[in-house]
Amino acid sequence: MIQAWRRRKKQSRTDKWLPFWLILPTIIVLLIVQVYPAIYTAWLSTQDRTPEGWVPVGLDNFQRILNTGLFREAVGHTVVFLVGYVVITLSLGFFIASLLNRKVLLSGFYLTLLFIPWILADLLAGIVFRLLVAPDYGVLSGILGDPNLFPPKGLSILTASRPSPWIGEFPFPPSPAMIYLIMAAAWRALPFITLLLLASLQTIPSEVIESSRIDGASSWKIARHITIPLILPTLVVALFSLILGGMNGVGMVFSLTGGGPGTNTHVLSYHLYTLGWTRLRFGQAAALALMIAVVNWLLIGGTMRITRVDERTS
Amino acid sequence: MAKLRSPSRKTWGSLLVNGIMIVILVVVLAPIVLTVIISFKDQQDTIRKPPVLFPCDTETDGFDLDACRWAVEGYERVLAPKPSEGLLGFKLTGKLFRLYVPNTLLYATATAFGVTLLAGMSGFGFSRYRFPGRGLLLAAILAITGVPLLTNILALYQMGVVLRKSPFPFNDRVFLIVVYLGFFLPLSVWIAKGFFDTIPRDLEEAALIDGASALGALRHVTMPAAMPGLAAIFLLTFVNVWNEFLAGYLLVSKNELKPVMFGLYDFLSANIINLQVIAAACVLIALPMVVVFLVARKSFLSAMVEGAVKG
Repeated sequence: MIQAWRRRKKQSRTDKWLPFWLILPTIIVLLIVQVYPAIYTAWLSTQDRTPEGWVPVGLDNFQRILNTGLFREAVGHTVVFLVGYVVITLSLGFFIASLLNRKVLLSGFYLTLLFIPWILADLLAGIVFRLLVAPDYGVLSGILGDPNLFPPKGLSILTASRPSPWIGEFPFPPSPAMIYLIMAAAWRALPFITLLLLASLQTIPSEVIESSRIDGASSWKIARHITIPLILPTLVVALFSLILGGMNGVGMVFSLTGGGPGTNTHVLSYHLYTLGWTRLRFGQAAALALMIAVVNWLLIGGTMRITRVDERTS
Repeated sequence: MAKLRSPSRKTWGSLLVNGIMIVILVVVLAPIVLTVIISFKDQQDTIRKPPVLFPCDTETDGFDLDACRWAVEGYERVLAPKPSEGLLGFKLTGKLFRLYVPNTLLYATATAFGVTLLAGMSGFGFSRYRFPGRGLLLAAILAITGVPLLTNILALYQMGVVLRKSPFPFNDRVFLIVVYLGFFLPLSVWIAKGFFDTIPRDLEEAALIDGASALGALRHVTMPAAMPGLAAIFLLTFVNVWNEFLAGYLLVSKNELKPVMFGLYDFLSANIINLQVIAAACVLIALPMVVVFLVARKSFLSAMVEGAVKG
């Protein structure tokens, strides 16, 4: 007995440092790849590259970005994209999750098949949609390019220009290319959002729904007054994760539209790429990255507040 | 009233739900099915105006199953098999499969191993021990989970530029793997912690009382129980790296070291009018991941729920 007790005491001393050694490698990797680059980006955003090296320019980079028309246009495209993408994905995801939550026969089978688009890379998903809507030869181009169905000139991804905006320069209504981009992005994000909402719906005790149904409440009323309020936190988490993914995703823009036609799908993430790698304005690109990062951090902070991390870290 | 609803109405309701689900599935899977169909067309059938869905029409008939002109030309042009003396009797000379797929296999395997190891260690540490700063560290890791690659890619690119000029030995492949490690690790730490939380502590304590060391208990008792969770992390990371485009495209300087998504992007611009070739490349690159997902769907979905609902 005493021997065993001694052994435990000895172990507890090594145990004391064990968690430190277990966690240290993770912390080091995250400091190198996540924390340091974030700080570096903030520093770069106040610098300008000259032949002699980096020179500090204060907030000039921010001013220069904010004063370009293309930045304002990119903000508009991003807003249009995000609104379309979020509304389509959230409403369809909620609808499908509600169906699957009804103890449907084969619901596991449906969920598995539904998840296949999620496993495709965003770049590849963009190509898949491009094959459908490519002008002249895309399988759907016969329907989409029909001027009788879609006046005045059909919906061509490459040539149809943007309809004239309704309010000022805000790019609404969106161009055909933007509509395809929204559809492709929503298609790929739908499975994940459906799963998220389904997991949340399954936490609602079925007695609650049953008893209100017995009381004569319609499906719509149950959804509006019971289901949606109960899963509201998850809906907001889904909303934030969609905005995060949609604002920062760029692979699909590369393969589906390349930002075009013209600048019709020139969203902020693509703007960052062109600033940095085609126009080689690294300081300005860093300033834009910092602005996007601040929005990201706000969304992440909001998500963490809703999911109440402090309770889960216990 | 509603209480006395006849069972037949319930059956009708269930039929309706299933019917709607099938319609949704058809719409959701249509782009994939169409891509597979396109990949088996021959060149003449992909450049017809107006486009036809199936290459099965004859002069007299709109659709005749016997007249279908299926072709594997697209696949041949992607893989470009040439006879050779190896084990298989041929080798693939298409750049996509000669160069980019092996690159990605290396990156994905190395990253998945690294992420699984590190996430397993720190997930266990966070799950089993209470120490000062633990809550703060966990919250910080969760916050980093949400940070997308896009905003850091610029600084990482600059770090690469500086390191290449420095006297330190610098390797593009190692650099890319470390970047992937840092981006796919945070979510996996949370998933691993979640899995370890579900393994009862009694098992380890029994082993400790029997005289095993803490590390011994970890290796012989906890790890076997955690294997399914760690396997899920491995697969999820593997798929994530396989599908990643931006970092592989921008952080690696030489084209021949870039991963498969860059290869596909490059391929797209080179074959822009040969839809059947592009479709075949997409099918060949997506198929392994779809198969992995279908085989291991349970572990994927559990990892997703673990990571998504909690983190």
